Amino acid sequence: MFEKFATGARTAVTCALEEARLRGDRRIGTEHLLLGLLHEPGSPAVRCLGVGLDDARAALEGLDRSALAAIGIDVQGIERPPVPASRKRTPFTSGARSVLPRALVEVRKTGGRRLGPEHLLLALLACERPDPAAELMEHLGVDRPAVRERLSDRTG
Amino acid sequence: METGDLSERLRSHDPAVGLRAVGALHRLAEQVEAAAVARARQQGWSWEQIGDALGVSRQSAHAKHGK
Repeated sequence: MFEKFATGARTAVTCALEEARLRGDRRIGTEHLLLGLLHEPGSPAVRCLGVGLDDARAALEGLDRSALAAIGIDVQGIERPPVPASRKRTPFTSGARSVLPRALVEVRKTGGRRLGPEHLLLALLACERPDPAAELMEHLGVDRPAVRERLSDRTG
Repeated sequence: METGDLSERLRSHDPAVGLRAVGALHRLAEQVEAAAVARARQQGWSWEQIGDALGVSRQSAHAKHGK
């Protein structure tokens, strides 16, 4: 699957793994893939998205805080350091797994041969709630049709 | 927040609220564990003592948190 990945997309997946581990998640989800993309702030895909890594991380924390508040747990002020890397394998969630073939479809649509960050982003933009990346983008106020348009101007 | 209020929220809301909270609890547990284990090591706890406190073996505590 990954042999078609261009360097930028490979880096995004590696960074997604790191994000999942830092947060204490046991699987790589679509929200981690999105954060993984944001590690390369200068890439055209991220410029089209217009979101920064720190803002996205903070938004995920905010979503967790409100989810915990809904069950009566207040985590304000609790020390929450990054979780040390585990030696266990971190698999993809089924949502994240399904993003990869959709990104390949985007590659074919544009007649390209390599899967780049922009194709990953296009596939992530198509996620619908309750998908975590969709929730995150909604929380960040991402205008998805506008991003898609800016991306297609680039990918042709 | 009252317990009755809490169960009310979980009942009345869509399952996404409860599911998202469980995911957040897992992450919170991992983060609190990382902080607590680091502090215990600083204060001279053995991996065996830490493992016992966490309900896991000395080996798994060390494999997960040892440098």
